[in-house]
Amino acid sequence: MKNPIFDLENWREIGATLSRNKTRTFLTAFGIFWGTAMLAMLWGGASGLEGIMKRNFNGFDTNMGGIFGGRTTMSYKGYNKGMRINLTYADIEGIRSKAPYIEASSVIDSYYGNIAYGTKTKSFNIMGVEHDFCKIQIPVMYSGRFINETDDYGTRKIAVLGKNVAYSLFGNDKALGKYVSINGVYFMVVGVAGQKSEASIGGKLDDSVIIPSSTFRRAFNQGNLVGFFIFTAQQGHDPGEIKPYIDRVMRSNHPIHPNDENALQMMNMAENFRMIDNLFLGISLLALFVGAGTLMAGIIGVGNIMWIIVKERTQEIGIRRAIGAKPRDIIVQILSEGMVLTAIAGTMGVCFATIVLGIVDYATFDPVLGSAHFELSLTHAIAIMVVFMILGTAAGLIPAIKAMKIKPIEAMRDK
Amino acid sequence: MIIKLNNVNKTYPGAVPLHVLKDINLEIERGELVSIMGASGSGKSTLLNILGILDNYDTGDYYLDNVLIKNLSENRAAELRNHMIGFVFQSFNLISYKNAVENVALPLFYQGVSRRKRNALAMEQLERMGLADRAHHLPGELSGGQKQRVAIARSLITKPSIILADEPTGALDSNTSKDVIEVFRQLNADGMTIIIVTHDPSVGEKTNRIIRITDGRIL
Repeated sequence: MKNPIFDLENWREIGATLSRNKTRTFLTAFGIFWGTAMLAMLWGGASGLEGIMKRNFNGFDTNMGGIFGGRTTMSYKGYNKGMRINLTYADIEGIRSKAPYIEASSVIDSYYGNIAYGTKTKSFNIMGVEHDFCKIQIPVMYSGRFINETDDYGTRKIAVLGKNVAYSLFGNDKALGKYVSINGVYFMVVGVAGQKSEASIGGKLDDSVIIPSSTFRRAFNQGNLVGFFIFTAQQGHDPGEIKPYIDRVMRSNHPIHPNDENALQMMNMAENFRMIDNLFLGISLLALFVGAGTLMAGIIGVGNIMWIIVKERTQEIGIRRAIGAKPRDIIVQILSEGMVLTAIAGTMGVCFATIVLGIVDYATFDPVLGSAHFELSLTHAIAIMVVFMILGTAAGLIPAIKAMKIKPIEAMRDK
Repeated sequence: MIIKLNNVNKTYPGAVPLHVLKDINLEIERGELVSIMGASGSGKSTLLNILGILDNYDTGDYYLDNVLIKNLSENRAAELRNHMIGFVFQSFNLISYKNAVENVALPLFYQGVSRRKRNALAMEQLERMGLADRAHHLPGELSGGQKQRVAIARSLITKPSIILADEPTGALDSNTSKDVIEVFRQLNADGMTIIIVTHDPSVGEKTNRIIRITDGRIL
């Protein structure tokens, strides 16, 4: 049995049919081209916007929560409302001993101080953190190391300089092993670090001096007070599950009215990330919806053109039927014309979208944060093409069936 | 016997049904050159369409080369048309964007014959019609007589059992008409069965037998 795909004349015939009315073919092809390009660009664009948003949180564990002090809003046990509730190290120990599902945790203290090396003195954010901090916000280590458990427990006077701090004090010279003075106390530099994204807790790592929390409290007379407490929940658990335990510890340690919901400030980054995910799911769906609308316009164009082609070629179809074309031959002929048009214009649309997304990705590339991923995956590109081919074929099917039903004798009478 | 019709009837439905063929009984021997003549609306074209499996009939039986042509599927009808019947039409019915050789080769395309082979066979038929030098011309570049000879070449390419010609000279001047009829006579002399529907007496008198049809009945 013949297969028209392998018959050169069949292809020449498709070419001849499509090139007979160039303007009409071009406009139809443009509709398909634009439909696929829009769908691909919107899909890739939504992915890029999500990438831009998410790269701001690069390095952060998404299953993170935290707590910091607030003010009471209700009087309780003889204390007026408006009283400041400060986190203390006793609170942190209580939380660590009583709250389950905590994977990693760290206190964060910070304040602005003077840091000096040689004759240079600069003012930067000083951060006191525990060794697990680097599991919650993964830093970029330019040289040396981050704070470890020994530093923490030994109250060692070591410092990790943010990359901007290191540059302002040492220029391009090596900072490791050098001693810097922080508010008159000398610390040995053990590392130069930065952060992977724009988001930060307790100060941007690039512009901070990071020292062990234990050293921070002792060297700078912070007593038992703690600024923030951050933690990550174990896999399969949400930071929100830990909140009631933290709440119980805090309320037992501080005079907080049982109904006072605002005395403690809790954050649940996992919830925020879920919101972002949902937001971008919505944006992706909107993009798909808008793209699908454009695509449908293109498909309707294909159906329309096929309808006109069938109408124009009724007599020819009759001749073909009279000399032996079976209904299937006519359907294949009509559909293959639509499919060729769809395949060529659709491929060009996807290629165009890929080029545009590539340019946008290049323009939004950040040397530190990396690519935002304005891109169309091969799977998505194939999915768009397959959907377009299926819909394009379906759109051509109605005219093709109409063509098939034409009786040869009636068709040949058609003028 | 190549064609045998027994009591064939055909009615076109409508508000007023039109009974166009009434108890047609017809026998045509292999190798005959027959003309069917009648006035407009007499039913001669409907008869030709039934003979050509382009239209169905309501009652009776029609045998083509001992094959009962009745209640055929579209596919089977297309297959029989392709293999057993060659058509020649008044308005030539060539495909305008295909050249002469491609037009002639088209029936073989539907038989799955390779392009090279069908074009070679088409060239043979065009040479037989004296049109080898016009093989690569489009229909628009050919004269009326040349177009009709291309159409005859197309009708012959599948080596059919019969050729059905519907007013083959209707669009041609008298000299060209004579040429075309001469082609048919030559083909008949070679053994081909040919049935020509015409209202032109000069064409009818060139055939071996004239079948006259009036008001849907063969006289």
